[in-house]
Amino acid sequence: MDENIKTEAVEAVQPALSFWDQHRYLLLIAIAIAIAMFLVSISMALYNSSGAAQLDLSRPGYSAVTSQAVKNDSDFANYPNTGTLDKAAIDEFRGLYDTQAAKAKAVDAFSGDPLDPAALEINAPATPAQQ
Amino acid sequence: MTIAKRAIIILGAILLGVMTPMSVVLAQDTPMTDAQINQIKSSCVGAKTIMAQLHANDALLRVNRGQMYESMTTKLMSRFDDRVDSNHLNSKYLVSVDQDYNDALTSFRNDYQVYEESLSSALKIDCTKEPVSFYDAVADARTKRAQVHNDVVKLNQDIDQYKSTFESFVTGLLNFTGNSN
Repeated sequence: MDENIKTEAVEAVQPALSFWDQHRYLLLIAIAIAIAMFLVSISMALYNSSGAAQLDLSRPGYSAVTSQAVKNDSDFANYPNTGTLDKAAIDEFRGLYDTQAAKAKAVDAFSGDPLDPAALEINAPATPAQQ
Repeated sequence: MTIAKRAIIILGAILLGVMTPMSVVLAQDTPMTDAQINQIKSSCVGAKTIMAQLHANDALLRVNRGQMYESMTTKLMSRFDDRVDSNHLNSKYLVSVDQDYNDALTSFRNDYQVYEESLSSALKIDCTKEPVSFYDAVADARTKRAQVHNDVVKLNQDIDQYKSTFESFVTGLLNFTGNSN
């Protein structure tokens, strides 16, 4: 009897909770996950559209060449952009420029035709008339 | 001239206009033979291995060469232009070549991205099931790689151009200071 009175009293003091009030932690977690997924999708879109993906050698498939990437170009000196422009300054620039220009032009990058169907052996097989 | 004759002439002109490009397209788009399709199916796994290696090597080339090309402008050209400018000398020809170089560098970055996406798409195609699509995708990537090489050639030309502009500038400067002394 006393127990029933106590329960009724508690129910009278506490207002009835709605569904969302009862599951507010789940709601919080769901909203946090949704925001995180939204931000990750924006990051991935920027990563792909900006060209950063093409420079990322840590992606799968590039492990063989990752170690060959130049990580430190400290041997490429900055030319001072202030100061008088006398003969010494000009000679200094000429020396730096000639050295780096020679390095830049040393490799004829992306030359050749490795995607030629004949090189990949996916061209049409030679017919007897062509042979 | 009667209306009927005019109509025939106009119709003839329209037909000629339509048929000429069609014949060109038909000449270019030679249908793939069954022998070639079979050849692609049998060789494409090996071809994809070569393409995957090329994909990785070109990415490395892009990173290392791109860094070098970037440094040429940020560490040398632009800084020399600034120095010339800060000495109240005429830097407009040097700046112009530097600008051309930067434009070529932007093209190089963009064209490489387009090429890489094209090659990646080709690598994703199941060549045993879609040999024609695979062949077309490889042809597309090949064209785009050639464009990247053209950009590299242009960058090298601009590097030479900047050097010759620099030497002209130095000659002018020495003549000026020699005359003023």
